[in-house]
Amino acid sequence: MSSITAPITATHRAPVRTNARSHWPAALAALAQRRLSLSARTPREVIVPLLNPILFAIVIAPALAKLVGNRAGFDYMTFAAVGAVGLLVPINALFAGIGVIVDRDSGSQRDLLAAPVPRSFLVLSNLGVALLTTALQVSALIVAVSLRGASFQVSSGGILWFAGGVGLLAIGMYGVAETLASRMQKQEEYVGVLPAVAILPYFFAGSLFPISTLPTALAVFAKILPLTHAMALMRYALVDGRAGGLHDIWGAGDPTRLAAQSLAILAGFAVLMTVVSMRMFSRKAVQ
Amino acid sequence: MTQTLIANPPQNPTSPGSERPAVEVRDLRKTYANGVEAVRGIDFEIATGEVFGLLGPNGAGKSTTIGMLTTTITPTGGTASVAGLDVAQHPLATRAVSGVVFQDSVVDRPLSGRRNLMTHARIWGVSPGAAGAVVSSLAPAFGIVDILDRPVATYSGGQRRRLEILRALVTEPSVLFLDEPTVGLDPRIRVELLEIIAMLRDRARMTIVLTTHYLDEAERLCDRIAIMHAGRIVALVSPASLLAGLGKEIIELHVHGSPDEALRVLRRDGVADQDAFAVGSTLTIPIRGRAGVDAMAAIQAAGVATAAVSTRQPTLDDVYLQLTGDRLAA
Repeated sequence: MSSITAPITATHRAPVRTNARSHWPAALAALAQRRLSLSARTPREVIVPLLNPILFAIVIAPALAKLVGNRAGFDYMTFAAVGAVGLLVPINALFAGIGVIVDRDSGSQRDLLAAPVPRSFLVLSNLGVALLTTALQVSALIVAVSLRGASFQVSSGGILWFAGGVGLLAIGMYGVAETLASRMQKQEEYVGVLPAVAILPYFFAGSLFPISTLPTALAVFAKILPLTHAMALMRYALVDGRAGGLHDIWGAGDPTRLAAQSLAILAGFAVLMTVVSMRMFSRKAVQ
Repeated sequence: MTQTLIANPPQNPTSPGSERPAVEVRDLRKTYANGVEAVRGIDFEIATGEVFGLLGPNGAGKSTTIGMLTTTITPTGGTASVAGLDVAQHPLATRAVSGVVFQDSVVDRPLSGRRNLMTHARIWGVSPGAAGAVVSSLAPAFGIVDILDRPVATYSGGQRRRLEILRALVTEPSVLFLDEPTVGLDPRIRVELLEIIAMLRDRARMTIVLTTHYLDEAERLCDRIAIMHAGRIVALVSPASLLAGLGKEIIELHVHGSPDEALRVLRRDGVADQDAFAVGSTLTIPIRGRAGVDAMAAIQAAGVATAAVSTRQPTLDDVYLQLTGDRLAA
């Protein structure tokens, strides 16, 4: 162990600001870099959420495609691959929430709560990193399924719709994760609810089949799930230019208008959950 | 049994040239949602540059007080200011001028020590250059130069604690809060940390608020101490003044039978004054104006049945026992 070897003599006076907001952008960037560094040193946070969706997309989806064939006028494997994105995004967001609990239990969260920045910055910086890892994972998934034989209808407009749908779903789901992490005292408790929150909606949201095939009551339930809107939007963007999923939700209408409506639903979900998560974090963090 | 011993405020609660105390607390209260009254209306001022100790056992309200002063706990009553800033009205500004070292280890273990320090500095708005200069000047004194680039997970408990103190200093806070900084550390590391904190006393203008339940830390480091008991301050003076109140020597007496009756007899015979006190079967009797041998002879003459009698110098533990009836530290 090192020992104390020299007296403290220097008295540098660092420029501590007492009421300035000018350093807030740099502080937010520092918080995000910190979270990114911690995530990078915890590979399970990045790799584990990717495993199931990617295996589903490159193993199960092609097998199902052989059974289903090309009945709906588009490749089922590609249809199911987008469904895998709908599985990946919530799982990744919920896994990111574990980092919040670790931070609180054995990280430097208490020190950060004593920092001269709004406490919502902690949530926003974590969200930024969750979005980045989501982008990387979705890209990896798309590349993998493309190599496996999926064929997407790529256009600049489609990419924007897809990015908007994925991004807003990821923001909303991260808000859910952060809210749960703030409410739950133990990591075990959080991990216990993770499958229900991350995976359950997947079964109702038209991941593997159109929601028009569901019983009426379940179809109504599916229409209120943000994941259903995200899935329909993503398929409209990359797979199904006729917007079958959007019509199943909204009925007849101009696909662009319907896509905008679903995007608005997702935006509302994202804003709502971000606000709730920031408030919940601040309330729980301060006794 | 709870007495109160509050001396007059410090003769010079503010340093020359400054208008306000570094810390000012008025009727500060905290009742948690579960109904626990952790702090029940406390008042004190701390002068700029003063080392102030909050002393008391677990549950006395020390950490809650620190939490309110560092804005991580919301007061339910009263006011508090740090460096002239009301903690409730200006929490961000208060945090900007404060540094905190927490009771538990609060650090990112997967990251290196240097990364922890520089991240902290950036979040506090200190430029990398200025933070690097502080680290360069202080790290040798803290004995962690060689390990700064290692993950904190590889640090010993003492190294981690020194890193946390250094982290708090990177922003050059006006007021440094140290919440039980040596708790859970082995004796050698504890002594080293006390040396560091003692050295910090020399740093110009820095006010240090230290909570502890170790009496020797308070005696060694603090200009003044506030003894907390059950959410209240029961004494607020210098350690020397507290000890002086019990004289230079005390007799500790283990009695057979009722200690209260024995105390009554000794007071009646003039052997003990009103400041003598009983805890369990032990009487503690300050001796003033007579030799210990004479006092022990007087006790024998009073006919009190004793199991053991000894004389020793008083400690802050005796003061705490006298004030609250509880022992300060296990």
